[in-house]
Amino acid sequence: MLLPEPMSRILVVGTKKRLPDAIDLLYSLENVHVIDYQGGEEGFSLGAPLPEASDASHKLLKLRSAEKDLAVNVENIIATIPESKVRSELEDAIAKIDEEVLQAVESRNAKQARLTEAESRLAQLEPYRSIPLEIEMYRGYDSLKVLAGNVRADPEPALERELNGHYELFTAKGGSFVVLFVSSKHLEEAQRILAENGFTEFPLPTGTGLPGTAVAELENEIKTASEELEIANKEIASLNEKYASLILASDEYLSIVVEKAELPLRMATSSYTFILEAWVPTSAYEKVTSAFAERFGDAIHIELLENRGREEHHAEEDEIKMESGLTSAETVSLPVEEEPPVKLEHGRNTGRFEFFVKLLSTPRYNEIDPTITVAIFFPMFFGLMVGDVGYAIPFLVLGALGLKRCKSQEWRAISTMLFYGGIWAAFFGLFLYGDMMGIEFTHAEHAKNLASGWETATWASLLGIDIPHTLFTIPGIDFDVNLGYATKLGSVKILLYGSLWVGLAHLIVGLIIGFYNMIIRHGLKAAIMEKMSWIMVMVGFGCLLPVIIDALANGNPDALSLSNTLLLVGIGLFAVGMLMAVKGEGGKALIDMPEVVSNVLSYTRLIAIGTSKAGMALAFNYISLGRIAGIGTAAGATGNPVMLISALLIFVIGHLMIFMLAILSAGLHGIRLQYVELFKKFYEGGGVEFNPLKIKRKHTVEE
Amino acid sequence: MVDVGSGLIAIGAGLAVGLTGLASALAEKDIGSAAIGAMTENEKLFGKGMILTVIPETIVIFGLVVAILLWLNM
Repeated sequence: MLLPEPMSRILVVGTKKRLPDAIDLLYSLENVHVIDYQGGEEGFSLGAPLPEASDASHKLLKLRSAEKDLAVNVENIIATIPESKVRSELEDAIAKIDEEVLQAVESRNAKQARLTEAESRLAQLEPYRSIPLEIEMYRGYDSLKVLAGNVRADPEPALERELNGHYELFTAKGGSFVVLFVSSKHLEEAQRILAENGFTEFPLPTGTGLPGTAVAELENEIKTASEELEIANKEIASLNEKYASLILASDEYLSIVVEKAELPLRMATSSYTFILEAWVPTSAYEKVTSAFAERFGDAIHIELLENRGREEHHAEEDEIKMESGLTSAETVSLPVEEEPPVKLEHGRNTGRFEFFVKLLSTPRYNEIDPTITVAIFFPMFFGLMVGDVGYAIPFLVLGALGLKRCKSQEWRAISTMLFYGGIWAAFFGLFLYGDMMGIEFTHAEHAKNLASGWETATWASLLGIDIPHTLFTIPGIDFDVNLGYATKLGSVKILLYGSLWVGLAHLIVGLIIGFYNMIIRHGLKAAIMEKMSWIMVMVGFGCLLPVIIDALANGNPDALSLSNTLLLVGIGLFAVGMLMAVKGEGGKALIDMPEVVSNVLSYTRLIAIGTSKAGMALAFNYISLGRIAGIGTAAGATGNPVMLISALLIFVIGHLMIFMLAILSAGLHGIRLQYVELFKKFYEGGGVEFNPLKIKRKHTVEE
Repeated sequence: MVDVGSGLIAIGAGLAVGLTGLASALAEKDIGSAAIGAMTENEKLFGKGMILTVIPETIVIFGLVVAILLWLNM
């Protein structure tokens, strides 16, 4: 349950004649994780794809090009087609699709080209419209040059001065476009003058008649061309509608054919036989063998190579053994120690947190899957940092919506965090802090710890209603269930102190898991030296913690006297643990020692972030409700609607900001405490995910 | 009327948060850009990149804790 599923390595051997059927069966079992053949066996080589692969790939290519031309959107197609129908109609369908789509696309492209050309000619002609010259008159001179283009300033005065009337200038309405006719002799000078006036040259128009007429003609042409283009696009859209589901279904069918046909690339084959090595879950081994026996009798042989345990053999140890007894030729054929793939199994709730573990790395085969610790502690820490009913409710709503609607893994992960974190935030908000939107329900600690003023406002006092502070008393143990025991701003010291204990407990949980991992990998002795030692150090630190706090915060000199048992036990455990760790891990353990303190201190963020959010909330509440709206002040609430509306605006915007910051910082720090502090105590990661042969269908159905 | 001592404590608390915030920012700047670089090569590194990026966040959290402890003494 906590460890990944046990795996067995099997060998499948058969004749090549049976290979296609065997591949079908392997896929239908959905439990076989193939180990790629690495080569090196004498008489065997890497298999070649089955013959149908090349034909199917060829067809797939045509289909994909049609898919692209028709802009088929995979998300929109939900219809499914029976596989047998796809198979029987495939040949005709592909030929038809290919022809029709090709034709439609070509005609569309031709129309598009016509439209683009007409548009570019129109753009070229446009500036000449307001110059009263026929288009022929711009060309065909021997001694005259024509320059046309935009200018930034009027060149006429300069031209008149320098060229002595050897020119003719036409200026369009508005004055920025000019056409200059100048004799070839004066060309250079004219160009210089134009350049000085910021001239950019335009190409001269082609065609006949007045530009106005030509423009009208072109506009007509553009109109018909764009109408035709629209028709062509409609035709393509109708082709899309007609064929999209068939194309996707055929694509899927052919992809499956290709995938199956290429499986031999992962096997070893000789002239007549194939060998396939694979991992199957030990629990599914019987099912796999009986399925093969039923289908093929004795024709395909399955052998169980090993049921893999969790212990770990170091490669170096094996090598040393080999070197001492065997020749080097034999060391080469030593099988590579390969890790089995990891198949994680979780219930629905825990499974949602798998993403957070895989974000870091897939667990290894021989370690406890940390998803469960993430599922417990991450939302709890998130809730502890937010700890406000007012934010918890939108978290819950958003999270539940996200889990229902979102498909993408990332959004689902965020929704998971919001939903489960929201549950804890509501819990801590109600029972630990008794807090909503930064205002307490009733006085818990406030009145004691803070000066009187707006800071002591509560929902009870603001709304003028009576909220009971003690909800009920648990009979038997006489425990009062209160709306809040501590205040984020009022009881900071005790909360910070408490967060150290939360950290210590969290770290010890991590070390206990590490201890277990070490036992299954390397045995009890290594586990005691490498992990139990650290547990002792942690517990020792736990004993010293109240002593240190007592001595430093309360200034109690007796705390450090040698008659204090807690001090002696703490120092003893710390020292023995440290010695064991040094013996087990070497000098590295000494370097890690300060981490004990810094790791535990790191958990103060649980409270520090909550406190900073509460401080911001107090500021916004005071500005909006207290100062602007006058609620909770001696003068009483203002009756001015403008003031009330602006107070509401500031209240909403301020809390929205805190809300977003809460998601960001509580989320990041919550997951960071798992990754950096907790996982470092036991988690290695780097496993291979169990990825069995399996057909995923979306657009086709199997009868 | 707030006395000078309280004012000095407040300045100290402000410095504790502000300077550690700058320190975190400086450290995270380099790690963050390297992490983005790594992510463009391999998207799977997002998780590791994020963790490495928020590690220096501890500095400012400690600063915040110190500021809170100072504020409690005001």
